[in-house]
Amino acid sequence: MNILLRLALFFAGAGHYGSYFLAYIFETIFFMIFVAVVLIFTIYLFRKYMARLQLRYGPNRVGKFGSLQLIADALKLMGKESILPSGRDDFAFRVAPLIVFIGLFVGFAIIPYGSFYWIGSLTITHSNVSLLLIFGALAIMPIGEIVAGASSKNKYAVLGALRGVAKDISFEIPMMLSVIALVMMASARTANGLNLEDLTSVQFIPYGIPEVIGLFVFFIAMIARAAYSPFDLGESDSELVSGYSTEYSGMRFGMFYMGLFGSIFLGSMLVSVLYLGGYNGPFSSYAGFIYLLIKTLILVLVAFLVWLSIPRIRIDRFVNMGWKYLLPIAVINLIISGVLTLGLGI
Amino acid sequence: MLKEDSESANGNKWVELNMGPQHPSMHGVLRLRVKLDGEIVKECEPIIGYLHRNAEKLCELDYYCDATVYFDRMDYVGAMNMEVGYLEAAEKLLDIPPPERAQWIRLIMAELNRIAAHLVWTGAFGLDLGMLTPFFYCFAEREKIQRIFVDISGSRQQLNYMSIGGVYQDINDKIIYDIEQFIDQFPKKLEDINKTFIKNDIFISRNKGMGILEPEVALDYGVTGPMLRASGIDYDIRKKEPYLMYDKVNFDVPVSYKKDNLARYLVRIEEMRQSIKILKQAIKKIPDGPYFNPKAKKPLMIRLRGDGDVYARTESSKGEFGVYLVGDGGVKPYRVRVRSPTFKNLSVAPVLVKDQMIADLIAILGTFDLVFGEIDR
Repeated sequence: MNILLRLALFFAGAGHYGSYFLAYIFETIFFMIFVAVVLIFTIYLFRKYMARLQLRYGPNRVGKFGSLQLIADALKLMGKESILPSGRDDFAFRVAPLIVFIGLFVGFAIIPYGSFYWIGSLTITHSNVSLLLIFGALAIMPIGEIVAGASSKNKYAVLGALRGVAKDISFEIPMMLSVIALVMMASARTANGLNLEDLTSVQFIPYGIPEVIGLFVFFIAMIARAAYSPFDLGESDSELVSGYSTEYSGMRFGMFYMGLFGSIFLGSMLVSVLYLGGYNGPFSSYAGFIYLLIKTLILVLVAFLVWLSIPRIRIDRFVNMGWKYLLPIAVINLIISGVLTLGLGI
Repeated sequence: MLKEDSESANGNKWVELNMGPQHPSMHGVLRLRVKLDGEIVKECEPIIGYLHRNAEKLCELDYYCDATVYFDRMDYVGAMNMEVGYLEAAEKLLDIPPPERAQWIRLIMAELNRIAAHLVWTGAFGLDLGMLTPFFYCFAEREKIQRIFVDISGSRQQLNYMSIGGVYQDINDKIIYDIEQFIDQFPKKLEDINKTFIKNDIFISRNKGMGILEPEVALDYGVTGPMLRASGIDYDIRKKEPYLMYDKVNFDVPVSYKKDNLARYLVRIEEMRQSIKILKQAIKKIPDGPYFNPKAKKPLMIRLRGDGDVYARTESSKGEFGVYLVGDGGVKPYRVRVRSPTFKNLSVAPVLVKDQMIADLIAILGTFDLVFGEIDR
C-alpha cells in the first residue's frame, strides 16, 4: 500500500480513471507542500542554528520563536519588484531560476521516503533506475546557475558561472565513482542495484560502515555540489558580490536561495539513503519516514556546522582537491569495494 | 558576450572589473579597478575619495577645542587614538600640558580602543575569507569595551572623550572595576578567537606565503603600523618616540619576519596581548590629582591661542598617525594636516596584489585594516 493507492481508494467514487487522476493531482499537491515545508524548515533551522553558534537570538519576532519569519520573508520576496537588468538574455534570464527549482523538485520526487504509519509507502516515483534519475535531476540544477550567470550580462555573474562549471566537473566524477562502488556492493544482494528502494532495503547494516571512504568522498562532494561555504565559490560574497545570482532580485532570487537550502537537504537525504540505511530501522514499516528525517537532519546540522566554521577555499585549490585527492581516493575505494564484494562476499 | 576592455602588451585580452564602492567585501567605500586575466589580477588601481568630508578644512574653521569631533570621525573604529593624536599636537602648540592623571586615563582608553579596533579587524578579516562565525565572537568582546566607553563618554563610536588639557570627565571606581574585569577575562577569550583561525588548515593555506611585502618596498611606500612590523621592521612610535606615559610601562613590540598575510594577522593578535599587558600596569599606576589642566577650563577653552607650527605623531591601531598644526596667533588653527596611516598603507596594494588570484586580492586587502573615514578624511 502506498500513498497513491490510498488516495485512489479515497476517491473511489470517481471511477477507475477519475480516482487515479484525482489521486495523482493530490499526491502532487501534497508533495509540493512537503517540499515547501522542508525548504522553509531548513532555512529556519539554519538561521536559528547559526544564531546560536554566533551568540545571537536569530528570528524571534514573527510567530512563536520566530517560526513564521520565513513565511513572512517569502511573502516579502514575492511582493518585491523583480528587477530585470538591461542587456540581459531575456528568456535565459527568466528561465534560469526555474531550472534550479525544477531540478530540486524532481530530485525530491525520486527519494524513497519509506512508510509512515497507516498511509504506507510515501515514495512518489517508482523506477528501476531511480539512482540514475536522481543524479540526472541533480545535474539539472547547476545548468540553471550557469544559464543565470551567462544571461545576466554582469562580469561577477560570468565569473561565478565559470567557477560553477569548474566545480561541477571536478566533483561529479568522485561522487559518481563512490556511488558505483555502492552499486557494486548492492548488486551482490539485489538484482537491481540502480533502484534506490532496493538499494535501501538491502542495507541490513548501513553501507556507511563498509563504505566509510565512499561516505567521506560522497559527503564532501555533496557539500561541494550544494555549493555553500567552504565551497561557495560560485557566489562567494567577498569576491564576486553574489556570483551568478548577482542581478537577481525578488522571487527569482528567492528561488536560488531556496535552491541552495533545498540542495543541502536533498543531498543530506541522499547520503542517508545511500549510506546510512535510509528508512531502515526498528519498526520501519510504520516509522521509516521518521528515521529518514532524523538521519537527514543530523547530516544537515553537520553540513551547517561545516558551513559556519570553515573559511572559503580558493578556487584552484578547490579544483585540485577534486582531481588530486578525492578522485584517487574514490578509485581506491572502488577497488576496496570490489575486494570486499567479490573476495569476501560482504 | 563579455566585452574585453583592454589589451596587454603581448596581445592578451584582459577583463576590466570594477570592484566597489558598493562591493560587499570592500571595506568602506574603496573602489578597485582590476584587470583580470581569467582569475589572475594583472593590474589593480585603488580609487578613493568617496568618503571625503573635508575634515581638515573643517578643523580650520573651528576653535582648537572643537576639532576632536572631526578626528573622532576619521578612524571611527579607533576614535580614542585619533583624539590622542590630535591632542598631542594641539597641546604642544597651545602649551597646555595635561596633568599626569589625564595622561594615564588617555593611555588606558587608547589601549582599550586599540584592542577594539584590532577585534573589528580580526572579525572582518574572517568575513573576507568566508568565516562567518568568529566575527560575532570578536564583536561580543568589543561590546564590553564599548560599554566602558559609553560609561565614560556617553557615546559608542564618536566618543569625543578627550579635550584639550585633559579628559572630559574623570573615571570612577566602577569604570576601573569594569576595565579590570575586562582585562581578567579577555586573554582567554582572545585565545579562543585565535584558535578558531589558527587551527584551521584552510585559513593557514589561504594566508601563509600570500601577499609578501618586502621591507624595502614597505619603506619606499611609507607603510607603517602592524603591516610594517609584520615585514620585519621594528618601528613603533610608542617605543621610538614615547608619548603619553608609554615610557613608564613595560611592553614588547611584536615583529614578524615572515612578511605575509599570516604574519600581519599574528602581529595584530600579539598586539592585543601586549595592550592587555599595558593595561594591567596602567590601571595600577593611575595617580590621584586633577584630570584636566585648569588653563583649559570650559569658558577659557575657546580663547586659547596658538602660534607657530607643530607636528606630533602617535601610533594608532593602523600605524603612524601624524598631525601637523599651524597656528597664526588666532583662536583657530591656520592649517591642519593629517598623515593618515592607512592612506599610505593602501598605496602599496597594487604591488602586493599583482599576479595574485582574485580571491587572494580580497584576503590581502583584508590584512590592510582599511578604514575609509581615515583615508578620505
